[in-house]
Amino acid sequence: MKITNTGKQKDCLLITVEGRMDAVTTPEFEQTLGGWIDEGEIRFIVDFAGLDYISSAGLRGILTSVKRLKAMGGRIVLTALRGTVKEVFEISGFSTIIPIYESVEAALQEM
Amino acid sequence: MLKNRGIAFKLVLFILFSEIAIFTFIFGYNYLVSRRIIEKNIEQNARNLVMATVNRIDSALRAVEKIPKNLLYILEDLPLTGVEVKDLLRTVVENNPDIYGAAIALEPYAYSKDKLCFAPYYCRSGGKLKFTYLDCDSYTWDWYRIPKEVNHAVWSEPYYDEGAGNRMMSTFSVPFYKSVKGKKRFMGVITADISLTWLKKIVSSIKIAQTGYGFLISKNGRFVTHPQTNLIMNETVFSVAKATNNINLQKIGREMTEGKSGFAPFTSMRTGKKCWIGYAPLSTSNWSLGILFPQDELMSDITDLNHAVWALSVGGFLILMVVIIIIAGSITRPLRALSKATEGIATGDLDVELPQIRSQDEVGVLAESFKQMEDSLKQYIKDLTETTAAKERIESELYVARDIQMGMLPTVPPPFPDIALFDIYATLEPAREVGGDLYNFFFMDDDHLCFAVGDVAGKGVPAALFMTVTQTLIKTKGIKGLSPGEILESVNKDLSLENPSFMFVTLFVGILHIRTGALQFSSGGHNPPYIIRADGKIEAMELTGGIPLGIVEDFSYQSKMTGLKKDDTIFLYTDGVTEAMNEKHELFSSARLEEDLLGLKDKPVEQMAGGIMESIEAFSRGTPQTDDITILLLRFYGEAG
Repeated sequence: MKITNTGKQKDCLLITVEGRMDAVTTPEFEQTLGGWIDEGEIRFIVDFAGLDYISSAGLRGILTSVKRLKAMGGRIVLTALRGTVKEVFEISGFSTIIPIYESVEAALQEM
Repeated sequence: MLKNRGIAFKLVLFILFSEIAIFTFIFGYNYLVSRRIIEKNIEQNARNLVMATVNRIDSALRAVEKIPKNLLYILEDLPLTGVEVKDLLRTVVENNPDIYGAAIALEPYAYSKDKLCFAPYYCRSGGKLKFTYLDCDSYTWDWYRIPKEVNHAVWSEPYYDEGAGNRMMSTFSVPFYKSVKGKKRFMGVITADISLTWLKKIVSSIKIAQTGYGFLISKNGRFVTHPQTNLIMNETVFSVAKATNNINLQKIGREMTEGKSGFAPFTSMRTGKKCWIGYAPLSTSNWSLGILFPQDELMSDITDLNHAVWALSVGGFLILMVVIIIIAGSITRPLRALSKATEGIATGDLDVELPQIRSQDEVGVLAESFKQMEDSLKQYIKDLTETTAAKERIESELYVARDIQMGMLPTVPPPFPDIALFDIYATLEPAREVGGDLYNFFFMDDDHLCFAVGDVAGKGVPAALFMTVTQTLIKTKGIKGLSPGEILESVNKDLSLENPSFMFVTLFVGILHIRTGALQFSSGGHNPPYIIRADGKIEAMELTGGIPLGIVEDFSYQSKMTGLKKDDTIFLYTDGVTEAMNEKHELFSSARLEEDLLGLKDKPVEQMAGGIMESIEAFSRGTPQTDDITILLLRFYGEAG
């Protein structure tokens, strides 16, 4: 898994996540994101265009971040889900509790 | 063989070998060069000595030659009377101690018409002068004949004079002439005798080392003087050479009699030692002087030097050997002690006392390192023992936990043997000792079978704890008359109440009417189960829009309806099945699962479940299982079956 900070727009931190999010890599995602939150960032747009696979541990990692940010008055949105990742979000019903957009641009318009 | 020896041995061996090689080279070089220099000097000295000796003998002989020559002038100019001649001879012999005797021999009848032979002769005998007239036979001797024939003064070959002196001598004869009517007429010879003993004294006065000597040979090669008295007069160089078959001597003899000078190696016939021989002709007589130089005596200086160098080398070598042995020993002694001590460590005894090494060199550092290693090892083993004990404790607790967790699952195979309306089979394979997957089935009443499969996010102990709560809640909330959606809502509410670590569980709940096949179901974010129809079709069940349980407290879960016909099978699973991985990180996938399900659809449910598990195992080929795997199969037969 590779997490990249691609810059800040409209007070939102843009992040891309590539590779696999499973029980092994998700703690890294939580730590990296936690680091940014500690630096004061509370609004995130996460681009999943490069994400190949997500397990239930990955879902939990995202859920943890969502709940944490919600308590701080911030939010996290996901964009550009594809393939099995998109399927997992649909099957698990996560797509109904986490905002998901087609693209980063679409997300930015809503923020 | 050598590599098994100790460092000290090798050190001593290699250094001393090098040392021997260096000493030998230096010694050899020194020996050769100094020998060449000394040989050159010896040759030069020898030549000088030969020349000096030749000159000395020559001057002695020249002094002798002067006597008859001076006499000649007197005799040629004066008319001679017998008395005058006799007195003259006496004076001459008396005044010249070097000569043994002197004679004046006149041609027959040259003295007077009536006297055939006139040859007065004075010689020494017993410290006195003795006078004789030599008889007429004397005129046939070489000393008279040869100068008469060759018309000049000559030295005779050495001869033994019986009549006059009874001794070995050589004679210098000067012919003299008188002019008679303008014609030169041979008148006779004037002679001076030298005793060979006198000559020998001169020659033997030359001291050449200890056993070196000089000798004279005549024109014919006859020995004139030689330390071996028996050779004198009796032998020639050539007769000796012939007798001993010595070609070298013959060659040297020829050169000497031809009047040449030279310097050549030679083996002494007396001692058999190596010598050099130097030779040069006398300028007075036609004799040749030879001098024998014994090599070993002349070379004794360099031999002594070499002995001294040898002795110093051997002494130095021995000192060096002792020093190296001491140094090597002092280096390897602590190493040996250390090595012996570490043997103990190697066998596992970490309480071995390491030797105290005070030096701060490499060995000292090594010993210190060993000590630290020993301490670290002790500490490490202590830690390891503690950790292992703790780990074993946890592991044993985990196995107990696993038993408890497995005990919470309904018993398979067929828990309801008296009911022939359906078959149910389930299996659960945790990735670790305990896991977060669950399955459940129970009768809500006589007709309704409730069944469920769930998957807690994550693995291990946290997931297992959440699973046990969920499992318990399903059983307690599955009250008669409730729909699957209502059960999910109820469970979700309880799970969401106290969930600080945001755990969640995906859960599928179905309720089957075991007589009619009517199926009510609801999914909380779980993978949709498959229905494998009796006619060979496979379909994924619809989604009901539910989210995993434990996230949103008041979420409303919807139920849906479908129906099973005879021999239809419903297959519930967790994502551990489709997401099982092989070594290439490929997933087992739902496509492969569907294919396997169709292939196995005619088998009993237990064999079907086994077939799927085998297929997963064959696919992953030993790649460690990363997620819990759960399968639940339910086949409907209905009233008619």
